Amino acid sequence: MGTDSRARASAREKAAEMRAAERRRERRQRILIALGLVVAVVVVIGGLVGVKLASGGKATSTAKPASPASDQIIKDVTSVPTSTFNAVGAGTASNFPSPINPPGPQAAGKPRTLYVGAEYCPYCAAERWALAVALSRFGSFGTLGVTHSSTVDVFPNTATLTFHNASFASDVMAFTAYETATNQVNQAGTGYVPLDTLTAADQQLEAKYNAPPFVPASAQGTIPFIYFDGHYVQSGASYSPQVLAGKTQEQIAASLADPNNAISKAVVGSANVLTAAICTTTQQKPVDVCTSPGVVAGAAKLGTS
Amino acid sequence: MSAEAVTAERSVTPARTWYAISSFVLSLIGLGAAGYLTYEHYTGSTTLACKDTGTVNCLKVTTSTYSTQLGIPVAVLGLLFYVVMAALCSPPAWSLARRWGAVTWVRLAWSLVGVLMVFFLVWAELFRIDAICLWCTAVHVVTVALFGVLVFAAALADEE
Repeated sequence: MGTDSRARASAREKAAEMRAAERRRERRQRILIALGLVVAVVVVIGGLVGVKLASGGKATSTAKPASPASDQIIKDVTSVPTSTFNAVGAGTASNFPSPINPPGPQAAGKPRTLYVGAEYCPYCAAERWALAVALSRFGSFGTLGVTHSSTVDVFPNTATLTFHNASFASDVMAFTAYETATNQVNQAGTGYVPLDTLTAADQQLEAKYNAPPFVPASAQGTIPFIYFDGHYVQSGASYSPQVLAGKTQEQIAASLADPNNAISKAVVGSANVLTAAICTTTQQKPVDVCTSPGVVAGAAKLGTS
Repeated sequence: MSAEAVTAERSVTPARTWYAISSFVLSLIGLGAAGYLTYEHYTGSTTLACKDTGTVNCLKVTTSTYSTQLGIPVAVLGLLFYVVMAALCSPPAWSLARRWGAVTWVRLAWSLVGVLMVFFLVWAELFRIDAICLWCTAVHVVTVALFGVLVFAAALADEE
């Protein structure tokens, strides 16, 4: 091999080495870029988690605490026209009371409807509208509050009434209500600030009848829970709180008189079914209410869910 | 083939195979989890009741206002994402990528879409819904892992 050949071979080797070195450099660069991208993704997610943990990692419901309902809201809720009740019938109610066979314990005096719920609970928020409308056909509320469901649960901040400290008077029935918690998250961030405590007797009643075979296993122990003086029991809301989304108490209350309104179809329809369940406890009194077309339509739904 | 090329082929083939297998397996895991969430979305509990005192749970996430985007359930979007991803990470797609490099970049871009969605959903879970869904978290972890595999696969694609 001549000198020129060796020189050319040497040059080729050097060029190959330079190309190889360049490839290695590019490879390192690409690996660093790839690594940087992956690290950036992890840092963003880690940052979100870090900020959450730094803020205490607790749920912080910003729902306003309860306050007294305005006269207009009470008027709208308690004076839904009979024509609206009859036009709506069962409306869009989708969850109905189930019969208790044989009948459960009944109150000593007037037949009593027992309600257990909580202010944070969006399903209770929906049910209170219907229950308040239904109860208004049997008596009258002295005081009634307004509140919102939790802002950190499903259907957040649903506008509603509250039965905490509510007073109700009727010639034909009694009403007992427990709101077991507020809509304010407790300091530990593990739940909500407690409110009403059930009496031992009502606790026993709730424990027994808010469980199979009286309610589906999936609904055991859930709220809202309504016990219709040993005749019927309901666990869960009668309709989805979705229909109330974004509405104020004033808007919801004002919608009730219109039988073609989606809110009215849900609330008044559910109220007719609840009224029918209460009528079974009051021996169909008041007669004009319990035999009205709306309530008769509601009665047809009892025990069908 | 030169000795250098043979050496290079030997050194990159196992890596390419590893990327292909791991990305396909991750896609199938993601597809399974997204499929379960979609099934739950359409058949899950419709009980209109509060089960507890607002403690963290999956139902709270999957029924939140953030569980639907542009009118489409997020679970369905996740399923769609993983159907496409499983196709892009399938063995035939990896073979195609060797002849047609654009497949590599389409695959990477698609996984980036998934990562951006993960950012949004993690933010929503932590700061808006205040709840963590473990099935959703599993999908998020798989999506980020898949992005990691594909970004390295793309970075070293020229060596194949």
